[in-house]
Amino acid sequence: FGLAEMNGPVTTETYKAGAISHPKEAAKGGWSPYVDNGGTVLAVCGEDYCVIAGDTRMSVGYSINSRTVPKLAQLTSRSVLASSGMQADALGLQKNLKARIVMYEHQTGKEMSTPAIAQMLSTTLYYKRFFPFYTFNVLGGLDADGRGCVYTYDAIGSYERVTYASSGSGSLLVQPVLDSQVGFKNQPKQMQRQLTVAEAVDLVKDVITSAGERDIYTGDYVDVYII
Amino acid sequence: DPYCFALKMSILQYNGGSVIAMTGKNCVGIACDRRFGVQQLTLAGDFDKVFKINDKLFLGLPGLATDMQTLHEKLRYRVNMYRLREERDVSPKVFAKMVSSILYEHRWGPYFTEPVIGGLEGDKPFVCSMDLIGCPMVTDDFVVSGSSNESLLGICESLYIPDQSPEDLFETLSQCLLNAMDRDCISGWGATVHIITTTGVTSRNLRTRQD
Repeated sequence: FGLAEMNGPVTTETYKAGAISHPKEAAKGGWSPYVDNGGTVLAVCGEDYCVIAGDTRMSVGYSINSRTVPKLAQLTSRSVLASSGMQADALGLQKNLKARIVMYEHQTGKEMSTPAIAQMLSTTLYYKRFFPFYTFNVLGGLDADGRGCVYTYDAIGSYERVTYASSGSGSLLVQPVLDSQVGFKNQPKQMQRQLTVAEAVDLVKDVITSAGERDIYTGDYVDVYII
Repeated sequence: DPYCFALKMSILQYNGGSVIAMTGKNCVGIACDRRFGVQQLTLAGDFDKVFKINDKLFLGLPGLATDMQTLHEKLRYRVNMYRLREERDVSPKVFAKMVSSILYEHRWGPYFTEPVIGGLEGDKPFVCSMDLIGCPMVTDDFVVSGSSNESLLGICESLYIPDQSPEDLFETLSQCLLNAMDRDCISGWGATVHIITTTGVTSRNLRTRQD
């Protein structure tokens, strides 16, 4: 483009001048191996189903890198992993898990059950306790008895089996709604009931839409997996 | 000292607390939690953050408790002077402007509170929220403020229905506040809900999780 002739030697300062610098760099002038790609994931389970969903927006700082990056990965015929946080680490984690699931199937001749995957995910995350995967995971699926299950994780592998969970930049917006409409919290005991698959799917769609209204990092499309 | 805890928090989260206001059909609801605490220590469960300005106007002041009290007293003085001079009650729009001006006067050393105003302009509902330096935001559905800001926004966005009756508004408003509050460590310990209609104000104290 003839920049060198026009402006003299092009330095890194010139390139940085127009760009919005990354929030983490700007703060201290340092470098971080982590980046938050934003997004929200959630899962709701019932007697014999699990609905797990996540938006598809991938952002860095205030920019949108892609509107169509899925956060959900199907691991077996009965379990799906949803990862919010840093998508590079999510991809690395998925690759790791998928490989080990295949090895398990070869060694035992059986498909890995969701509770087994849940524990394996926990140990995988804790293995990197001192340089963690920057991922906030929700694992959804059917257990060995065919009942729906949802497991929620922190970045270093602490996990719990629950009936519903959410994670990511919009989780603060989404979680109270799940508490109210799936957990029936702060409502009289008579109101408690099991949601049907259709109700769960409608709720999940509404809730992630609402999160998309208020959270800048959530939006574009939503992947919904019904197991 | 390894036994001494001092959490690094924003000044607006030093005392904690949440406030929410929502519109209905010719009525407005405004509600707050009742916790008073200092960082992680809870000291009282009867500390309301919503104050009555007149029969058709309430003000919610979450944030730093000392600034909330001072601002409430300053505004009480200004409203009383207004009533003496004008010989009428202050309307919500004018009051909102008054709050906004007072906050902006302290642009470079602000009061650490982000108020929420709920009232009836005649018989039309009016809600407004502000940041700590007085930037007003008037909406026609709901406004939220406090430490469980995001949770409140999320659940209101999902549960809000326009033009509800006072009874339905009470239920919706309460559920929004309670479920959002339960996801915030520094809000809670009870809730107070006021429903303002043209005929009067109904105030209720809710028993919630006491943790």
